[in-house]
Amino acid sequence: MRAELQTPDPSRSTETEAGFEFLNPHFAPERFPWPQVWGYGGSLLLTGAAVYLVLLHVLPAAGLGALVLALAGGQALLQLGVFMHIRESRGPAWQILPLGLSFVIAFALVGMSIWIMTFKWGAS
Amino acid sequence: MSLPLGTSEEPLPIRFADEPAHHLAGVPLEFADEEQSLKITGFWMVLVTDLLIFASLFASYAVYRPMVAAGPSGAQLFGLGSAIAETLFLLTSSFTVGIAVWYMRRGNQRAMIGWIVLTLLLGAGFLGLELHEFAVDIARGASWQTSAFLSSFFLLVSTHGAHVLFGILWAVGIVVQVLRRGLNAVTARKVYTFSLYWHFLDIIWVFIFTVVYLGAKIA
Repeated sequence: MRAELQTPDPSRSTETEAGFEFLNPHFAPERFPWPQVWGYGGSLLLTGAAVYLVLLHVLPAAGLGALVLALAGGQALLQLGVFMHIRESRGPAWQILPLGLSFVIAFALVGMSIWIMTFKWGAS
Repeated sequence: MSLPLGTSEEPLPIRFADEPAHHLAGVPLEFADEEQSLKITGFWMVLVTDLLIFASLFASYAVYRPMVAAGPSGAQLFGLGSAIAETLFLLTSSFTVGIAVWYMRRGNQRAMIGWIVLTLLLGAGFLGLELHEFAVDIARGASWQTSAFLSSFFLLVSTHGAHVLFGILWAVGIVVQVLRRGLNAVTARKVYTFSLYWHFLDIIWVFIFTVVYLGAKIA
């Protein structure tokens, strides 16, 4: 397979070298930075919600921890989508694939470290 | 499978910088140039590896969190107020660098530099708050030598802080370059990769805030 970069052609925007529609490059020129404004508001809202939920102790510890981690994950997706323009690229947006893989590895690394060490602390 | 480089009769698939940059209509400056566009993809790979470094530090923090030895636990040590202030500084700086890139796309160099400078001031404010928090902790006898918990805490949080410090120095260099050379495909790519880096640090901080500071209030 040739790795040659193709110049984006608006007339064939539904197909790509990669063959996956989600890798299609996407640029969003805006007359006013509304996405950034909404993204900022959304990030403040997500952080405020997490602090509020923790201070009120709305759930038992395990459920509350999972909930605020989910809010942090939403914050990460918001930053990636709104501010980091993850779909912008000259050809197919290849960065999406290694980034997704690194999320899987990161969660596996943290999750399995916690899991395996519970056996050690559990004995002491 | 053999690598095509140097062994193939075909020309290399990648064009190099001595060819004139051709700018495409409707595509931002930093992507219109083929080499700069490749460097942006390469910078995503830098962020991917950096993410794995932070994942390792989060894993060690999660494992060592109960190992407080004779020192304080997170619940005893961390105040939420300064962590919330640091979060607001970084979230706002993420927004301002987003606006800087938006102005860059419109070719407004002055506004872009103004928003980058504002971003760096917010980043410096964040660093000041963080260093103050560290100094207070250490004055209370909670240094990185006190317990495994505090070693992993200082390692995780100060690695992020060192990234922010590097980002500030890097962006000062980029601003100087833009002032001297103007906005072209190379300088636009540098501003764009800096913005990727800065938003990435914001994501890492949100997880530090959630796991370290909110986590201490949950447990």
